[in-house]
Amino acid sequence: MDIITVKNLTKQYEAYHRGQDAKSVFKSLFHREKSIITSVEDLSFSVGKGEIIGILGPNGAGKSTTIKMLTGVLYPTSGEINVLGYNPHKQKNQYVKQIGVLFGQKSQLIWDIPPLDSFYMNKEIYDIPTNDFRTRLDRFVSMFEIGDIITKPTRTLSLGERMKCEFIMAMLHSPPVVFLDEPTIGLDVIAKQRIREFIKQMNQEGTTFILTTHDLEDVERLVQRVLIIHQGKKVYDDKFSELRLHLGAKKMVRLSAATTIGDIDLPGTLISERISDYEVELEIDTDQCKMGEFLHILSEKVEILDISIKEIQIEKIISSIYEMDIG
Amino acid sequence: MKRMYQIYKTCMKANIASAITYRVNFILNSLIMLIGNVLFPLVTVFIYNSNASFEGWTFKEALLIQSVFILSTACAGIFFNGIMWNTMSHVVEGTLEVVLIKPTSSLFLLLARSFEFESIGLLGGGVVMFVYALSGIDGMTIGSWFLFLLLFGAGLLVMFGVALIVAAISFKWVANSRLPEMFESIKSFGRYPGTIFPKAVVAVSSFLFPVSMIAYFPASTLIGRWEAYFFIAIIPCALFAAFGIWLYTYMLRSYKSAGG
Amino acid sequence: MFEKIKHRFRVMRAVAFVTYKEWSAYRTHSMVSIFVGPVYFLVQYYIWSAVYSGESSINGMSLSQMLSYFCATMLINYLTMDFADWNLQMLIRTGKFITFSLRPMNHMFYALSQKAGHRVLGLLFEFIPCFMIFFFIFHIDVLPANLLYAMLSIAMAFMMNFFIHYSIGMVAFWMVQSSSIRNFFSLCEGIFSGSLIPLVFFPKSLQLASFFLPFQYTTFLPAMVYTGSYTLADITLPIPQVLLLQLVAVIIAGIVCRVLYAVSLKHFTGVGA
Repeated sequence: MDIITVKNLTKQYEAYHRGQDAKSVFKSLFHREKSIITSVEDLSFSVGKGEIIGILGPNGAGKSTTIKMLTGVLYPTSGEINVLGYNPHKQKNQYVKQIGVLFGQKSQLIWDIPPLDSFYMNKEIYDIPTNDFRTRLDRFVSMFEIGDIITKPTRTLSLGERMKCEFIMAMLHSPPVVFLDEPTIGLDVIAKQRIREFIKQMNQEGTTFILTTHDLEDVERLVQRVLIIHQGKKVYDDKFSELRLHLGAKKMVRLSAATTIGDIDLPGTLISERISDYEVELEIDTDQCKMGEFLHILSEKVEILDISIKEIQIEKIISSIYEMDIG
Repeated sequence: MKRMYQIYKTCMKANIASAITYRVNFILNSLIMLIGNVLFPLVTVFIYNSNASFEGWTFKEALLIQSVFILSTACAGIFFNGIMWNTMSHVVEGTLEVVLIKPTSSLFLLLARSFEFESIGLLGGGVVMFVYALSGIDGMTIGSWFLFLLLFGAGLLVMFGVALIVAAISFKWVANSRLPEMFESIKSFGRYPGTIFPKAVVAVSSFLFPVSMIAYFPASTLIGRWEAYFFIAIIPCALFAAFGIWLYTYMLRSYKSAGG
Repeated sequence: MFEKIKHRFRVMRAVAFVTYKEWSAYRTHSMVSIFVGPVYFLVQYYIWSAVYSGESSINGMSLSQMLSYFCATMLINYLTMDFADWNLQMLIRTGKFITFSLRPMNHMFYALSQKAGHRVLGLLFEFIPCFMIFFFIFHIDVLPANLLYAMLSIAMAFMMNFFIHYSIGMVAFWMVQSSSIRNFFSLCEGIFSGSLIPLVFFPKSLQLASFFLPFQYTTFLPAMVYTGSYTLADITLPIPQVLLLQLVAVIIAGIVCRVLYAVSLKHFTGVGA
C-alpha cells in the first residue's frame, strides 16, 4: 500500500545574477538580471508503507527541495503530493502531527538547557498523553543508552549524543512517516551504527523512513529502495540491489605482476588505474568477457603475482550516474 | 608599515564590497543612520522649544556638543567599535584560531576587520549638524580649532579604550553581549554640558572615566569656553587607551595559552 | 473547544518554562539592567534638574512628575520588552525557522510564550531590584497611582510591544537582509514611544499623530496611567477611557500582526526556506 505518492512534481524559482568585479557590483545597485531556475522537474515516485527509501543526488540536485515539498514547508509550482492521505502544504496543520522530521544541520533542541526539557516541550506541542510519552521516552533513552546525558545542557553534549536526542525529538509522537535529512553527518562510526540500528528497529515496528544522505554506507546498510535525483529529475528508482547492475555486470580486478603490464587488449576490459608498471586496477564487463576467459588470457600475457576480484564500488556507480548529463 | 597599510586597505575594501552586495539594505541603513542622527538631539530640541534651556548654553551651543558626540561615535563606529562584536563572536564560535595563526599582530588584524563602512551615514549627519550648530556661534579661532582637534582626538582615545576593554572582557565573560550597553550608559554623561552635573560627577567624568572628553570638552574649547582641567584630562584618556591595549593583548595571550 | 484552549495553555506554560530556564543561565544578562537603568536615570535626573531650575512646570509636567515618568518608563520596559524581532529574523536567516514549520505549532504563539517566560525573569532580576533602587535610594515616587489600572495597562503594553516587534521581525520573510527596515522601525519606536522624552514635548501635530501610531501604547500611555494622569495633544482623558483606547489599539495591532503572519508564511512557503 502506498503511503506516499508524488506525481509530476515541479518547482521553479526566480533568481538574480550579478557579476563579481567592482563595476558589476556597483551596477547591481541599480539593476540585476533575473532568470528562472527549475530545481525539481516532473518528479514522480511512490513509497510503500514500511519502506526505507534513500534519496540520493549530487549537491544542488533538488533533494532538499523535494523533501521540503514532501513535508509541506514549500509549495510546489505544479504536480501532486499525497502523504498519508494529506496534501502536505494545504493541510499542513493536521499533517505535521503525523510526521517526524530530522534535519541534520538544523537542531530542534534548545542550546542552553538539557534535552529532557526540550522533550517535555515537544510533549505539549504534539499533545502526547503523559503515559505514552513516558513509555516511549524511557524506551528510546535506553535504546540509545543516553540516560545520563539527557539532563545535561545540550551545548555540553557531543555531536553523536545530540543527534540521538534529535532522533528522540522526531519520534516521541510516534509518527508513521519520518523524514531524515543527512542524519549521520559528522558522526563517528559507532554513533552511526547505533543510529542505523535504531532506524532498522523502528522500521520493523512499522515506521516508514525517507532518508536523504551522502553517506553510502547508510545507503548500503539501511535502504531498500533508492531514488536518485540529478538536475531536478529522477534518474533512478529501484531496489538498491539493482543499483549494482546499473553499470552492467562489472567486476574490479586488482593485479600485480612480476613483469611490466602493458596494454590489455580484450573486449570488455579497461585499465581503470595504473598504480605502477607492475600493478594495475581493471574493470571487467563480464557480459562481454567471462571471468574464466579473462583469467586464462591474462595468465598467458602476464606473470601474475597477486590478484583480487571485487564487486564494483557503490561510489563508482553513483558518481557515474551523477556525472551523466541529463540534457 | 607599508604591509600594515596594505592589510588595512584590503580589509576595508572587503567590508565595503560586502556592504554593497545587499544594495537596498546598504542604502537604507546609511539613510536611516543619517535620519536617526538628525533626531538624536531631539531631547535638546524639544527642551529649547518649550522655552526651557540648559542654563548658560544657547540652543546651538548645546547642539554643538551633541554633534561632536555623534562625530566621535561615527568615527569610533567606522574604525574600531566592530572589534567588540568581532572578538565576542570569534570567542563564542571558537574561530579565533583563524586569526591567531596569521603572521601579523592579531590585534591589528581584528581592528582592520572591524572597519565598518555603514557608519558613514552617521558621520555625514554629524557633519551636517556640526556645521549647522556652528553657524550660530562665534568664538572660534585657529587656535581653538587646533585645540578642538587635539581634544577630539583624546576623546577618540577614550572610545578606543572602551572598545578594547569591552572586547577584552568578552574573552572571559563570554555571553554578556550587554557589556557595551553598560559603557554606553556611562558615555551618555558626555553628551550634555558638563555644568549640569555636580562637582563629584564632573570629577569622575573628567578623570576617572573621561567621557566628557568625547564631546563636551572639545566642543566647549572650540567656542572658546575652555578650562585648564580639560587639558589635564588628556592624560587619563591616553591611559584609558593604553590600558585597553594592554588588557586586550593580555587576554589574547592567556587565550592562546589556555587553548581557547 | 475547551480542550483546545487547555492545550494552548499547556503549550504556553511549557515554552515559557523552557525559555525561563534557558535565560536563567544568563541571569547576569538581566542583572546588567540593574546598573544600566539607574545610570541612565541619573543622567536624566541631572538634565531635568538643571532644565527645571527656575521653572515649576514645562508642558504641563513638574520636575517630580518628569522623574516619576522616566522611572515608570524604565520599570514598564522591564516588564514589557522583548526581542521577538531579532529572534525571528535569526531563525529565518539561519534556516532554523523550518523546525517550527514542521511541528504543529504556530510560531507567533511560540514567540509570545517565550516572551512570557523571559519577562518573568525580567520581573525578578530587573523590575524588582530597580524598583528598590528608585524607591529607597533615589527616593522617587514610583508607586503606581492605581495598581489595577497600572497592571491592566502594562499587560496591554506587553501585547502591543510583542505585536510591533513580531511584525518587524516578519520583514525577514520577505527580504534577505532586513536589518535596515528593522532599524528604521526601531528608530520610529524609540522616538514615538515616549521613552526618550514625554510625548507632550512634541509639536502638536506629532502628538495627534501619536494616537494613530502604535508606539505610544507601549510606553508613554502606560507610563501616564502609572503616574495617574493622561494628557496628549491638549486632550485630557480619564484613566478608564485611556485603558479603553489602549485596548482598541492593541486589538487592531493584533489583527494586523496575525494577518501579516498568515501572508508572510504563504510567501515563505512559496520561495523556500
